[in-house]
Amino acid sequence: MKKILAFLLAALMVVGLFAGCAPANNDETTEAPDSTTAPQGGDETTEPPAPSADDIPDEMTSSDGKYQIAFVTDVGQLKDKSFNQGTYDGVKLYAAEAGKSYKYYQPAGGNEATDDDRYDAMKLAADNGAEVVVCAGFMQEKALAKAAEEFPDVKFVFIDGWAMGRTNVAGINFQEEQCGYLAGYAAVKEGYTKLGFSGGGGGTNAACNRYGYGFVQGADAAAKELGVKVEMNYSWLYGSSFSASNELQTMAAGWYQTGTEVIFACGGAMFQSISAAASAEDGAVIGVDVDQSFESPTVITSAMKGIGEAAMQALKAAETEESWNAFIGDGTTSITLGAKDNAVGLPTATWSLEGWSVEEYEAMLADIVAGKITIDGADVPEPESTDNVTVNIIK
Amino acid sequence: MTFLIQQTLLYAVPLMIVALAGVFAERSGIINLALEGIMIFGAFIGVLFVHSMQNLEVFTTAAREGDWLTLQGLELLAMVVAAIMGAVFSLLLSFASINLRADQTIGGTALNLMAPALVLFLIRVLVNQNTLQMQTGDAASWFMIKKSTFGVKKSVDWGFFGETFLNKIYIATYICIIIFIVLAIILYKTRFGLRLRSCGENPQAADSLGINVYKMRYIGTTISGALAGMGGFVYSLTTANCTANGDVAGFGFLALAVMIFGNWKPLNIAGASLLFGLFKCIAAAYSSIDINGDGVYWLAQIGISSHLYRMLPYLVTLVVLAFTSKKSRAPKAEGIPYDKGSR
Repeated sequence: MKKILAFLLAALMVVGLFAGCAPANNDETTEAPDSTTAPQGGDETTEPPAPSADDIPDEMTSSDGKYQIAFVTDVGQLKDKSFNQGTYDGVKLYAAEAGKSYKYYQPAGGNEATDDDRYDAMKLAADNGAEVVVCAGFMQEKALAKAAEEFPDVKFVFIDGWAMGRTNVAGINFQEEQCGYLAGYAAVKEGYTKLGFSGGGGGTNAACNRYGYGFVQGADAAAKELGVKVEMNYSWLYGSSFSASNELQTMAAGWYQTGTEVIFACGGAMFQSISAAASAEDGAVIGVDVDQSFESPTVITSAMKGIGEAAMQALKAAETEESWNAFIGDGTTSITLGAKDNAVGLPTATWSLEGWSVEEYEAMLADIVAGKITIDGADVPEPESTDNVTVNIIK
Repeated sequence: MTFLIQQTLLYAVPLMIVALAGVFAERSGIINLALEGIMIFGAFIGVLFVHSMQNLEVFTTAAREGDWLTLQGLELLAMVVAAIMGAVFSLLLSFASINLRADQTIGGTALNLMAPALVLFLIRVLVNQNTLQMQTGDAASWFMIKKSTFGVKKSVDWGFFGETFLNKIYIATYICIIIFIVLAIILYKTRFGLRLRSCGENPQAADSLGINVYKMRYIGTTISGALAGMGGFVYSLTTANCTANGDVAGFGFLALAVMIFGNWKPLNIAGASLLFGLFKCIAAAYSSIDINGDGVYWLAQIGISSHLYRMLPYLVTLVVLAFTSKKSRAPKAEGIPYDKGSR
């Protein structure tokens, strides 16, 4: 009797486990037809004027089992609501418009992914028939070099990267210092005098370094103009894997408690921890890479770069050999996108700042394009204090 | 000081409740090594519950109109659901170690290995990403009790006590403390508690007096699973912005250490988890801790390397263990499967 009971109990638990998955499985089967029709329908049928990337499914099933456009993610998850997602949105939008099949690959090993893991992801993409592989993040360099050599017919787009002297690799980077500058300027103009910067990559990520250095310069410019003194906490702690953590949340809460008014959350999912602390302590947050004001009411503005647009441009260029060659030249110069290319800036559609208007912002952006304002784009992990900004580096 | 106390509590409470979970299992004679796994599972279930309930109109309206009582109700419900599923999950361990008389350490390790994999798999199936988050808003804006929750202005001073224990808190923290106290009393002051403890010390003697050892051990591990599951959700709610990603930063293993550190006694465990929470908080926020409120952050100014601060929680544990472990005594029959025939 007891044995039967025990068996039943065990059986129940096993069934329970599968029952948990069941509704989700159903969802997926109902979603599948959408994903096959969506990209193909993009050509002739009347689409809304600006299709949102969120409406395009992340996964699609191509009829021939080949995926023409591949996206290999950086560390952090695909849906980080920041760098990975922003780039992939561009990939999806292009693919939907051009009616091409697409697929994303997350290197195995998560945040501890090795070069081999990344290479494996790229190889898998190439084996699956990829014509263009979009790789996000400077950490892909070694894997990309190997894959690009092995698959000379596949075109690679290296977002946040640089040229590698190969004609099948387009290295695209951004002048992050410009939007960092604008964000810092905006924060001080808004009346904040105690700022924080929490960056990812531990000071080794050139893009984050430029964001932070620009942020300091922008804050300095506005502080000089207004004649105020600004204090800034500056830290690379708990950001090496660009992920949220309870330590980061406690650190941010501590900053807000001791007077910091706004923190520039510069690193993918780190935003989660910082906005949670901001929400608890009534602080403010500056988002990064994409407009993050939809994530949390604490976001006052975001330092954006056109990662999605860059991916789209590169993918368009990859359509024919001529346009690709025109796009990357001889493969030895990186493509740097900045204010002049309309690739960096603050989100004007969701403008919530009161101390600084959109018109003033646009005037400043024009000045940056015209070269009237020069911003140092050097790779400086630990900026020094200036006359008006005291940078308090927290190690 | 207020900040230090609040943050310490955030770290200490999940540790405390999960360490008590360990006590209930071990006092009944089962080593529950699966605390980490159950926490991960509980965190996932709780977050999933919040995630799927958020869309209900009653809760979206409540969040919009600041009806905080309803939101607290959602939080409590999620805790209950996490506890129930944690208990169900722990039945796997009970079944293996009580009925099948399997090695408890291996059974627990198996659950620890299974939980993150299962949870990640389910999260991927459900939302196609690695982290399950709330659909809208964040933990603080939905569940945290602040001055603004009661319509009180931020500038109103509630005094030290009010600022520390009534402002910017989660109700879950206090529920856990109350549960902790109640269960500690049950364990020591009731007939049931005595019987449970006797099964962990000398099950043969207990059986000879008519106590059903199997039943008591099932109860012990089930309570343990419920507490660990709830603790997992409380952890993710208060320190991880109500997200689940198949990881609780090793809090389950820390809780095991805290339990041994606290010598399997509730009061010592509470002390040990507060100590650990305090140092964990110092490690993460030493640069902004102002102990006596004079605006001097001396922890940052005395020029000790921050790495030392980050080592502190573990160093302190080692040092205290070195001094206290001589007196520490585990329940005598823990880890030994009970066999009626071997009397």
